[in-house]
Amino acid sequence: MRMTDIPPAFVLLFGAILLAAAKGKLRWVLAFALPVIALADAWQVIDQGRDSFVTLMGMQLTPVHVHAATPVFATVFGIMLLGGVLYAFNQKREIELPAAAVYAGGGLGVLFAGDLVSMFIFWEIMTLGSTVLIWSGKQNDNYGAGMRYFGMHAFGGVILLMGIIIVIAQRIQTGDADPLAFRHMHEMVEGWNTLSWQSAGMWLMMLGMLVNAGAPPFSSWIPDAYPQGSSSGTVILSAFTTKTAVFTLLTAFAGVDILIAFGCFMAIYGVVYGILENDIRRLLSYSLVNQVGFMLIGIGIGSRLAIDGAAGHAFAHIIYKALLFMGAGSVLFATGRTKMNQLGGLYRTMPVTMWCMIIGGLAISGFPLTSGFTSKSMVVAAITDQSALMLEAGKSNTYLVLTWIVFEAATAGVFIDACVKLGWFVFFQKDSGLRPPEVPWNMKAAMIGFAGICIFLGVFPGPLYALLPYKAEAAAYAKVVYSFDHVMTMLGLLLFAGLSFFVLLPLMKRTETITLDIDWIWRRFIPKFWHDVATPILGQFKTVKEAVLEWLPGRAMDEADLPAPLRKRTPGTWAVSVPVLVISVMLLAYLLVYFWLVPTAG
Amino acid sequence: MFTKRRNQQFAWLAILGIVGAVILIDLTVHHHAHFEGSEFTFDTLPEFYPMFGFLSAFFLILVAKTLAIALKRKDTFYADD
Repeated sequence: MRMTDIPPAFVLLFGAILLAAAKGKLRWVLAFALPVIALADAWQVIDQGRDSFVTLMGMQLTPVHVHAATPVFATVFGIMLLGGVLYAFNQKREIELPAAAVYAGGGLGVLFAGDLVSMFIFWEIMTLGSTVLIWSGKQNDNYGAGMRYFGMHAFGGVILLMGIIIVIAQRIQTGDADPLAFRHMHEMVEGWNTLSWQSAGMWLMMLGMLVNAGAPPFSSWIPDAYPQGSSSGTVILSAFTTKTAVFTLLTAFAGVDILIAFGCFMAIYGVVYGILENDIRRLLSYSLVNQVGFMLIGIGIGSRLAIDGAAGHAFAHIIYKALLFMGAGSVLFATGRTKMNQLGGLYRTMPVTMWCMIIGGLAISGFPLTSGFTSKSMVVAAITDQSALMLEAGKSNTYLVLTWIVFEAATAGVFIDACVKLGWFVFFQKDSGLRPPEVPWNMKAAMIGFAGICIFLGVFPGPLYALLPYKAEAAAYAKVVYSFDHVMTMLGLLLFAGLSFFVLLPLMKRTETITLDIDWIWRRFIPKFWHDVATPILGQFKTVKEAVLEWLPGRAMDEADLPAPLRKRTPGTWAVSVPVLVISVMLLAYLLVYFWLVPTAG
Repeated sequence: MFTKRRNQQFAWLAILGIVGAVILIDLTVHHHAHFEGSEFTFDTLPEFYPMFGFLSAFFLILVAKTLAIALKRKDTFYADD
């Protein structure tokens, strides 16, 4: 068996098992070797460009296939895991590294999945790995947060799976040669404006992916779950789930214009909630939603330059967002605090962390000479190009102008959030009296390395552009990215946004508060409604309940010739009946979807 | 580095200097229109980007503060989950 036949994901997944068993020095040798081997394998496979197949339960699966955006995402996943391991080198929690390897392995698996079934399997492996990673954080609200995270992704996964099944069924009906293929959904995108329930499968697939991308109304899982990791766990958590979702949307749904609307909402939502947030890592989670919004706008536009922009921005984003979370993790590691009202004046003793976070903050805002500048601006250029095309075709470009305004306003907003506000309240502002020592060498090295990548790609974007799906468009864009006009545009936009932060500084005073989100409905309203309203009413129907839950099952058992020990009704009845109820409802929902939404042939 | 009062003042002056320089230099730049050929030509106005950056950040902060009136809670709100 040649190296190129091994799916890169398997390197990490099997490596995770070894990593869990290894002790002492061997463990760290393995931890550093795994991302390097996985990356080398990924590049072997990419160079080869050949699919591998396996047969599973009568289906021919393609666990190794190189999509247009696979090289750029696979490269950054490898770099990210390596940086994350270096940052976690002094981390005592032993379960964290194997969980991270499983998580990254799942993500890498999705990037190389050539069919929908393997894509879904790796998608779920990713959820398992990341949930363990959250739990290994061992913070107060950790168990609940992990369960909510898992529940959210299980929900998204079920939607995705329903979509996949319907899509495959439809393809078989229409005589598709390769019904399992994970590829662009041309059949849907062309008829987007007249999209009906005929395309239910594709809708469901897209919605399942959007749950993982943090799209509304499910954006709140990101600020809920990510800040629950350990100082190093959150760094790794921030990288893979949302960007894998971006990859799948980019591969399957590029050009679906409703994604522009989702993206615009997320871009603004991330900024507005970030402005109100007090916890550093929750603020960074909100700005993560904002950045994924920019990527969705690119995917929604769907032109070649826009795809390049979305993919390139994902690359740059993984690096600078990890850098920012590393900085936040360092502050947590050194002071044990993440609330901005309890911090301040840390520039005295943590200069390395401060400069690295400022570089990360400048990169996320797209400041000239940073990676955000050279990646995000491709999406802006794609918006204007698209507008020109619309005008040529005699159509209105108003929605593109609005998208552009939202995009630039959110860019200004994320600068005051993730750069000015974070830097000001953590490192300057008042003297909090804290004099923590700078973090250990490995954390500093990881931060300096990632800050270096941010600046390198800002000054020399060539290597990144060469990885993108459409190299010719990216190379052409490289000639204009550093035009004087463009640099002045960003300087004017960002510096004056920063000015308004200081003008409104009294309004920005930190308080120990959070801002309610839609998740209030399932975290507070439904439980309270159930407890205070539904239960008392249901109490009135005690006889009915008894009949349904006790008399009926009892009768059934009396009728059947069961052996005596099984006939006994134990308190366990409830424990079984609830899952049975849930499963029945889900089966019913599935049947409804299947009969009403799947069109019959002809 | 920033502990000395003089250095702090210098840092603020430097930032204000850069901001001022951007205003002056921006007058000399000819920004190309993003939406050439349509009725939207606002982005070629002089000092458009500084104004746009300032106003959008200002506006976003006000929107956030308005939202906070209804949605702000103590951060222990979900503590018993």
